[in-house]
Amino acid sequence: MNCAEAQELITALIDQELGQAERSSLEEHLSQCSGCRLAFEDESALKQKIREAARRINAPGQLRDRILSDPRIFPEKRRSSRRWQDYLRPMPPLLRPILAFALLLAIALPMFYFSKPRSEPIALAALETYDLFLRGDLPVRRTENTDQIVEELTRAVGGDFHPMGYNLTAMNLRPVAGLVREIDGRKILVAIYQGPGGSLFCYTFLGSAEDAPPNAARFFDTAKKMDFYAFSRGGINAVLHREGRIICILASEMPMEKLLALAQSKAKPS
Amino acid sequence: MRGERKAEGAKRGAVASEAMIHLDHLYRVAVHLAKDPTEAEDLVQETFVRALAAHDQFDPGTNMKAWLTKILHNFFFDHYRQRKRWISTEEIPEPVSDYWEQLPTENPGPENHVLLNELSANITDALKRIPEEFRAPILLIDMGDFSYAEAAEILSCPIGTIRSRLSRGRKLAHQHLAAYVGLKQKGSSTK
Repeated sequence: MNCAEAQELITALIDQELGQAERSSLEEHLSQCSGCRLAFEDESALKQKIREAARRINAPGQLRDRILSDPRIFPEKRRSSRRWQDYLRPMPPLLRPILAFALLLAIALPMFYFSKPRSEPIALAALETYDLFLRGDLPVRRTENTDQIVEELTRAVGGDFHPMGYNLTAMNLRPVAGLVREIDGRKILVAIYQGPGGSLFCYTFLGSAEDAPPNAARFFDTAKKMDFYAFSRGGINAVLHREGRIICILASEMPMEKLLALAQSKAKPS
Repeated sequence: MRGERKAEGAKRGAVASEAMIHLDHLYRVAVHLAKDPTEAEDLVQETFVRALAAHDQFDPGTNMKAWLTKILHNFFFDHYRQRKRWISTEEIPEPVSDYWEQLPTENPGPENHVLLNELSANITDALKRIPEEFRAPILLIDMGDFSYAEAAEILSCPIGTIRSRLSRGRKLAHQHLAAYVGLKQKGSSTK
């Protein structure tokens, strides 16, 4: 193979789109030609930079809201034509004070709620750990012993629940650390996986589907009959699902569809 | 009859929910096609509208990301066909320096903010300078993780065309980015 032929194939080699024969032939040429090897390294680096830059671009929240509130996409439920007085009219007099009390509660509870300092959804707050860890600002005890991570994290919550522990060696990801975070009085167990392809965090805590961020996209898995909630924050994608009273969030910089597929493959219907 | 309508509604809802998974990807493609972020948002929203109007054409279990991307591309070129689709490298526009500033970011992180924004701004500017025919394969393959076959299906062209345009597109991007991203060869040395 000469340099002109090699230059034509370098792009496809980078994208893993070459057949075995062409790949072997090109790899042999690259091992002997520094010029072509340089071109290969440059194009690989460029592709990587473009991918990194793309991951930093997320759809703005306002666009997500526009789509979710667009009746052409998510039609609103048909509203009843009955007026609220119509609901009161057939009601027995005895039940009216009960209704009045219920109405009072309906007004008072939101006031009580909004008077408290508001915090962001726990699922989004948990993702801060991801950035902190990658920046080295999060002290963690590193170990590759999965059993040890599970045991220590379980002990940290008094055995109330266990962290989700997945075997991700097929993805070249290995457990490297575990830690416990407390947000709004709730303990979150975090198992951290790393590999040549990046990092993946697995968050486990007690909760309900209400813990998914309001703007998360809900995806129903018809095979497992489970809901999955996908959301992003600062270039980090996350998928939340519920197994009984346990909430699990997988977070990573990998593309959302791959992360969703991973969550679906690992989730166990409760 | 009511049962059929209910099933139809459920299928439509499932398509809409699954489509939301690909929102970030569609927006990334759109911001590199549209002239500004507002137009990109309109493009993505209209893609959703068109996809939902044609939801019965989607086979569950097939590649929804590719299906949506094709709708986005088709809509962009149908809707903006009055515009000049291709530009030559000689009439490359000035870098849109404030383009990136207009893009909303979600918690970009403290000290990395400047560097990441600078990297993304340079790459966005460089891609904007590349003629659309060479830019599209980069958007699909490098940003969207599509295979050559999927990109060929989305852009309705042969796989060989994708391969050659991608190669040419990366060489053009290389010329604009060599100094910035620490590439080893000089941009001018590319063919």
